[in-house]
Amino acid sequence: MSEADRRGRVERVLAMARRVAEASDPLGAEVRERLYATSGLSREGVELALSRHLEVRVSEADLSSLLASTGKAERCHVVLSANVCTGALRAIALAAATAPRIALCPSRRDSALCDVIARELARDPAFAQFGGEVSQVAQIETSSGDEVFVYGRDETIEAIGAALPEGVTLRAHGSGFGLALIRDEDDLAVAAEALASDVVPFDQRGCLSPRVALVEGDDERAEAFAVALHEALAQLGFRVPRGPIDDDRLRAIVAYASLAESIGAYFAGASHGVGLDASPRALVLPPAERIVHVAAASATSLAALLGPFASSVTTLGASGPSPLVDAALSLVPRARAARLGAMQRPPLDGPVDRRAGDFLPRLVW
Amino acid sequence: MLPHAESDALHARVQELIEAYVRGVAIAPTDFDALALSIARFQAERVPALGRLVRARGAFLVQAASADEIPAVPCDAFRLTRIAAHDAASDTRVFRTSGTTQGGAARGEHPMRTTATYERAALAFGEAMLFPGQTNMRCLVLAPRERDAPDSSLSFMIERFVERLGDRGDFHVRANGDVATIDDDGVARSAAEARREGEPVLVMGTSFAFVHLLDARGSRDLSLPAGSRVMQTGGFKGRSREVSAAALREALAEAFGAPLSDVVGEYGMTELSSQLYEGPRAIGLSSNDLPRYVAPPWMRVTAVSPTTLAPLPPGEVGLARIVDLANVDSAIAVQTSDRVRVTESGVELLGREKGATPRGCSLAMDDMLGAGPR
Repeated sequence: MSEADRRGRVERVLAMARRVAEASDPLGAEVRERLYATSGLSREGVELALSRHLEVRVSEADLSSLLASTGKAERCHVVLSANVCTGALRAIALAAATAPRIALCPSRRDSALCDVIARELARDPAFAQFGGEVSQVAQIETSSGDEVFVYGRDETIEAIGAALPEGVTLRAHGSGFGLALIRDEDDLAVAAEALASDVVPFDQRGCLSPRVALVEGDDERAEAFAVALHEALAQLGFRVPRGPIDDDRLRAIVAYASLAESIGAYFAGASHGVGLDASPRALVLPPAERIVHVAAASATSLAALLGPFASSVTTLGASGPSPLVDAALSLVPRARAARLGAMQRPPLDGPVDRRAGDFLPRLVW
Repeated sequence: MLPHAESDALHARVQELIEAYVRGVAIAPTDFDALALSIARFQAERVPALGRLVRARGAFLVQAASADEIPAVPCDAFRLTRIAAHDAASDTRVFRTSGTTQGGAARGEHPMRTTATYERAALAFGEAMLFPGQTNMRCLVLAPRERDAPDSSLSFMIERFVERLGDRGDFHVRANGDVATIDDDGVARSAAEARREGEPVLVMGTSFAFVHLLDARGSRDLSLPAGSRVMQTGGFKGRSREVSAAALREALAEAFGAPLSDVVGEYGMTELSSQLYEGPRAIGLSSNDLPRYVAPPWMRVTAVSPTTLAPLPPGEVGLARIVDLANVDSAIAVQTSDRVRVTESGVELLGREKGATPRGCSLAMDDMLGAGPR
């Protein structure tokens, strides 16, 4: 398998994705309609996901990094989840870098992007020229030497991993969440606007989605940020409403809101919520429904607050270094670090979740 | 008024109400509501969490007529903020919940300025539901001693029961830090002694401790003389080695040689000061029935809608909202994540709400027993 073939296959995957990103392209129109029916996002939410968060602008450095991040195999199986409707792109790109033969097992709930990219790659002579061969399967069937990527809940990963025969490499991409850090010197309104743009995509269902924001400073500053974030989320939610909420999800929101009201405050919006704990004893992970838990923190209090959650943090969002940010980076050294406002736009430079594997932290500020 | 005078006066009113129950005097719902609202107004001034809830919900406690109007503090709030009407310097005891997946730092805390009302409430209803008319009874306990687990409300309650029954308790769980062991042979020896003397025994323990005991029972004879009864508390909270309530009840009845009706479930929480019991001693229940729990007259359980937190009509399934008058210095109304159906005949416990934090003293026992050699 030549490096040129690997690169060529990934570039063909990206070419298909670029068509999907375009609303005027038939592929883009098809995926939009299907995602609106299956993803649980509003029409505006689907458009935002495809037009702004599908990783189609890939620098040469990122592509090289992606190619360097994968293993090499004859065959790669990909088991996808339905949390993030654009997640299939990176998964398929990584699989194409890994192996010429790709077996895709999409989520039953939301297979739109996977279906379309797989179908178009199967018809694409250029992809075949690079040795590529793609199929969709309901269940993976592996043999020694294969690689398996599993995206989803930790229980799913564990169950699939336990059933794999010897000699198969499992690359797991489990659940997690994003953590935003608001520095002492940050302008609260600017930081809130940037964070809101990280919360809204995918209705906060992704493993990079920020669900907790820690504010350097005292309780008043944390409250001021909570109010600013509430306003920013309301504005963005007006343009991009949250998808419909079913009873189960409403229960989780009501329970969290009630808790936040008793420990601090809860600011409810039509498409979001912000909970405040200005004097946190422990952290709370709010439901992933565009709900953010805001708490005051300092470099010294961080370890106690973050400790129980440290292994679940996939990405840190901040506007630059500070004692709080430095302390967080030392607690979660394998998390991606991103600027606020870019937490949901990680470069296509390898697996999105860097907690496992030999990836170096990449600071972007 | 002295700093704690208002609290003392409310404690006294609650204790009077408990004494009235002991004397067989019925408690009118209006009296319950009036006292509940007095306590709620006191707490809204002094317990920041309730004050915040009252403001957030726009509750107007001065004009309220029913305890249903008191905003309920979620159980999880007890692990995130201090729920107390007094400062920490006035704590005489702090009961703590078990550690959760977040570890010990996130344990719920129920600070007590006085345990007198807790003790009176526990004894009054425990006696009525578990050991009516008894003043001298051998006890066999599968929970740590109070001195080994000073922050366990269960250990506190059990020790009070043992004292009330003549202070003849055999404790067969040894706690040492995070590790606990059950002395299975000790349980068998206590049972043999009771059989020899023909003396009924009150067995008390957590579900997990009982499961551990039953798993290790082997050929040991644990049967007890007629008149013995078993109190089991705590569920399984989504942990491994789950046993259905009916199966555990049957196994305990078989192991201790007690009728099914004398295996009684207790429902208590660190965040509360009163307990519910299966009642009256589960008479008439078949093993397939869901157990029905009875609250003391100073406690009111209401099923509320999980999407609005509004009370549901009797018979509908919702989350348990508990008003406990004995919670004078903390939160009079507590919102749990336990699903219940409340009818005239009692409270059916239907398990935890999806996604709720696993919790409970039974869980702590399992964690401890799993942490070391048995």
